[in-house]
Order: sequence, then structure tokens, then C-alpha cells
Amino acid sequence: METWKEFEANELTHSAAHHLLAIHEVGAAYGGWARVSDIARRLNITRGSVSINLRALKKKGWVQSDEHHLVKLSPKGLRVVHSVMAKRVIVKTFLCDVLGVSEEQAEIDSCKIEHLISHSTGERLVQFLQFLTSGAPVSRQLLKQFRMFHTACPENRTCDVCKGHCLIDELKHAI
Amino acid sequence: MRSSKRAPGTTSDRHELVEELNRLMAEETEACLRYFQMRFRLRETDYAAAQAFFEDAIKETMDHATTIAEQIRSLGHIPTLRVKLALGGSAIRLKDALAEALDVEQQALEAYKDLLPRVAGDPVLEPFIQRQVEIETEHVEEIRAFLRTKGIVKLVRDEEVI
Repeated sequence: METWKEFEANELTHSAAHHLLAIHEVGAAYGGWARVSDIARRLNITRGSVSINLRALKKKGWVQSDEHHLVKLSPKGLRVVHSVMAKRVIVKTFLCDVLGVSEEQAEIDSCKIEHLISHSTGERLVQFLQFLTSGAPVSRQLLKQFRMFHTACPENRTCDVCKGHCLIDELKHAI
Repeated sequence: MRSSKRAPGTTSDRHELVEELNRLMAEETEACLRYFQMRFRLRETDYAAAQAFFEDAIKETMDHATTIAEQIRSLGHIPTLRVKLALGGSAIRLKDALAEALDVEQQALEAYKDLLPRVAGDPVLEPFIQRQVEIETEHVEEIRAFLRTKGIVKLVRDEEVI
């Protein structure tokens, strides 16, 4: 499958991830139960939209509702939320602690990709973070050297990473 | 100088009330767009059976949105419409379309009911919201009735065909 199609076919859509997280956050103070109106307010969308979107989440078995139209994460839904939250922390930690991205930007970027990365990539990232923070001399040295590594691109705009087409230049031209 | 006897009185209360009305207007507008698109997801026989229902629903929701916008303007504000919507999906049965419509209408009804205590005492908004609650209650009942008759009849007939 082509990558962009895989993005579309992702079982957990960005919208679904945010609905599940909103239910988790709003319901935290009420034994997990959340009102549609509070979820709508949290997500800044209409109640009608939340209601329609919840139908799909119920179908997947991630959300359950009661006779008062209150909704709650099912055990399966809760596991999805925990997985998304874990990936957010992993990505944010990597962006902040390794790459040195600002906390604010790391929060935004990790939110965008938290539900998109696979479990295996998440696991490898955790292992990489463990390696870097293990305190081993080689890890400390690597991290230290990377943080000091602010080299300018070569004059001819080519290097082993970009292979003839400067990626930094491309990023600069982004909107 | 207080411009009117309309509740609520403080600027922040008024601002919050206008926000609530903006949200209601968005509910109605979004419902209108949903109905507009949803009818084209119905198969031919269902489409014909529900054509009048959807035409009425489109007109009614847009009328409601317009009335709310006029109320916002009468409070001295410009209506702000926030709608985040992309509608697609595959073909659906009438029963499922009506179930979605029922969800949307039920939420609109709850939204009007929630607002009612906040406009208590306002000579214009209280009767307006009260009337909307009555209309939406009727509408929810109509959909339930439609679901009981057309939806189930269609479902049974479809199953028989299968």
C-alpha cells in the first residue's frame, strides 16, 4: 500500500483520537462519564458533529453510552487513549530532549503525529531514548556532540543526507 | 445606560449568551448541510421515499439558523458561524439516515433546553427559545414516527428482498 493511502486507512483517525482524548479528559472528574455538550465545547465543534462521530466510535467498541446520553470510554477505548498518550509523550520527549525543539512546538507536533506512528516505531523510539539517557559514556558523548552540532550546509548544497537536493532549503521555503 | 431590560445584564454575560447563540446557529446550519448531503447517500427508492422529509428538514434548519442570526443581530452583534465539516461516506439505508438525523435533532433540542434557564426573564429570547424547544421536540417526535414507519418498513422489505 502506498504511504499516503496508509495514512487514510489508519484505523484511528485524527478526529477519532481527539474525540477519545476529549472523553477521557472531560470524564476524568465524573467517573469517566462525559456529556456530549462538554465534548463539543472541548473540541470546539457542534454537538451534532460529536453525536455523529460517536456513532463510529461506538461501532468500533471504543465508547459506550447510557440512557442519559452520557458517554464513557470502554476498556478497549481506554487502551487506545493510553496508547495515544504514550506516543505523544514519546514523540514530545524525543523532539524536546534529543532534537532540542522548543516545548511549545514539540507539544504541537507530537499532537499531530501521536496517533499516526506505529507501535513498533514507538517502541524503537523509547529504546533510543533509553539508550541516550542510559548514562553510558557513549550515549552521553553522542548527545553532547549532537547538541553542539550546528554546522552550516556546504557551499555546493549537497551532503550525505540531502544527496544533491538541500532539504534545509526546501524547509525554509515552506509556507 | 442599559439599552434594554433583556437578560442577562453584564457585558460578559451578554458576550457568553451571544456565543451560545452562535453555537446554536452552527448546530442548525450544520444540520442543514448534513441533510443536504445525506439524502444523496440514499439508494433510489429510499431517496424518493424521504425526499419530502429532507426538503422540509433543509428548509426548517436554515430558517432556524436565520432566526437565531437575527436574534444575535438584535443584541447588537454580528453572527459568527463556525462550522468544521467534511461530508462524505458511502450509500446508506433510510433507517440509518434517519437514526443520524435523530441524533442531530436530539442534540439541537438539548442545546435549546440547556439555554432556556439562561434567558429566563428576557422578553424576547425566553419565548423564542421556549418556542424552539417545542418545535425541536415535535421534530424529534416526527423523526421517531418516520423511523417507526418508513424506516422499519423499508428495512423489513429490504430483508425480504435479500
